Amino acid sequence: MTISSRFRRVLPLFAITTVLVGAAIAPPVVVVAHAPDPEFSGALWAQDERLTFRWRAGAEPPAVMKTAILNGAADSNATRASRAATFAYEASGASPIGYGLHATCSVGGLACFTRTAPSGGFTMWFREQGHAFDWGSLRWCQMYSTAPNGCYDVQTVALDEFGHVEILDHHVNFGDKSDYLDAVVQTVSRTKPSAGWDMHTYGRCDTATLQKRYDMQTWSAKYSTCLTLNTALTLSASPTTVLSGASTRLTVVLKVAGADAYGRLRDNPVSNRTVTLQRRVPGSTTWATVGSMAASATGGTYATSVTLVSRTEFRAVFSTPAVEGLVGSVSAIVTVGVCNRSCLLTQPMS
Amino acid sequence: MSGSWFLIRRTTIVGMAVAMLTAGCTAVPGSTFDPGGASPIITSEPATTASPVVTASAMATASPLVTQEPAMTPEPTIAGIDSPPEALLAVEGGDPVMGQLGTSTWKNGGSDAPWLRGAPITVGAGEPLTVTFLPGMDVASWRTWYVPAASDGQTGGASLGEGVGQPTFQAPAAGSWTVNVTVTFHVENGRADYYWRLDVQ
Repeated sequence: MTISSRFRRVLPLFAITTVLVGAAIAPPVVVVAHAPDPEFSGALWAQDERLTFRWRAGAEPPAVMKTAILNGAADSNATRASRAATFAYEASGASPIGYGLHATCSVGGLACFTRTAPSGGFTMWFREQGHAFDWGSLRWCQMYSTAPNGCYDVQTVALDEFGHVEILDHHVNFGDKSDYLDAVVQTVSRTKPSAGWDMHTYGRCDTATLQKRYDMQTWSAKYSTCLTLNTALTLSASPTTVLSGASTRLTVVLKVAGADAYGRLRDNPVSNRTVTLQRRVPGSTTWATVGSMAASATGGTYATSVTLVSRTEFRAVFSTPAVEGLVGSVSAIVTVGVCNRSCLLTQPMS
Repeated sequence: MSGSWFLIRRTTIVGMAVAMLTAGCTAVPGSTFDPGGASPIITSEPATTASPVVTASAMATASPLVTQEPAMTPEPTIAGIDSPPEALLAVEGGDPVMGQLGTSTWKNGGSDAPWLRGAPITVGAGEPLTVTFLPGMDVASWRTWYVPAASDGQTGGASLGEGVGQPTFQAPAAGSWTVNVTVTFHVENGRADYYWRLDVQ
């Protein structure tokens, strides 16, 4: 089927009307494959904000779909790994979720949403079971006693939509889609039984963006492995000069580096990790491990006391962990002097 | 200004009509095409006795709201303003073919679609193909992906190119392919997937 020449004649006029659209121009975000999900422009919800939803009157989903949508909301709450908003059903909830013929999705859309943060709420729609697309009929898995191949899992699609409502845009996959399971917020939803058709948790690249935008729930929480965040270790000693046989207390603060690109994660204290203290004789090139430093009550702080009989250099080491998206770091060297009593008389301890 | 708006509406209606015709041409009655899964479809009976999974949340048992909701009838949308523009693929000197709109985001919303078969267009191997938009719109970046037309698009495939500005790429080797063009527009959250089925001779 082709477009008529008449249709093409109006092309230049459409170009003119582009000016009308120009008011909405915004710089596009360039996203590379296998990175944290891109984000919608626009405002965030408040951290941990409780967003309530209701079923749209006259367009309520069938009971089995309601359950799946509620489960999708619970999945979002349970796996957001951040201080992103939470979702809760209330009969008089602020945001409507609808189902059926009146869905405002695009012609090919299975489900759709709008978001108006921070105070306008959201909408969500699901197409009705059996909706006739040009490729066939829509089948929701939950509408069958035994879900057939080729059906869409409502709970997974709902989680995808709740992710959009948070701030997430579609994940950019590698060309071979080998990283598909890194995100549930995907451009193309999969059907049973393809891998990822029933993902009921956010993927690591979903949570990476949620963490950057909404921050961590605690300083001990793990950073998504879809992130690559540099860290900074700051080591200090007190006192910096001791009597031979006395001890000094070495304290280190571990933080996420202060890069603007890290969003809310920049300068975060990093608690309950393994930070190792090392020592050496001044002039030596070999470091010896003293041991792991104990976590202090203050976020991101670790401390250890060491007894000294000679001048010693110290450094702290945070090795790159395999289970989260932090990059290891090494502190600057701190030297602690050792004096006898006469020395201390002329060089008071700090 | 009002003339331009009138033109948009009028041409959008024409565009919608063409889209419907195009869709009509591509639709396969009783089709078993599975947009997201490779396996044959096994028909199951819909659950007649729905037994919802019991969740830990008491939310599921709350009474539904019975007040009247506004905006139950979808408002007509204007491509390029309320939704992504229509996309036309053409070879040099040939008639353009409107692509099928897949997943898209636009301003404060978005719509999730499956992998689509694409609107059919016949081209020659290696011919340069150009995508234009109705209404015309600045493109920030684009990338292409193509798979055999019979594929579900979930794995495999290859790129036909990517770039900035107007999408232009060469047709692949002879065969029947589905080409997906992902476009990022200079519009807030403006991203869209378009699909064509290329019959390359």
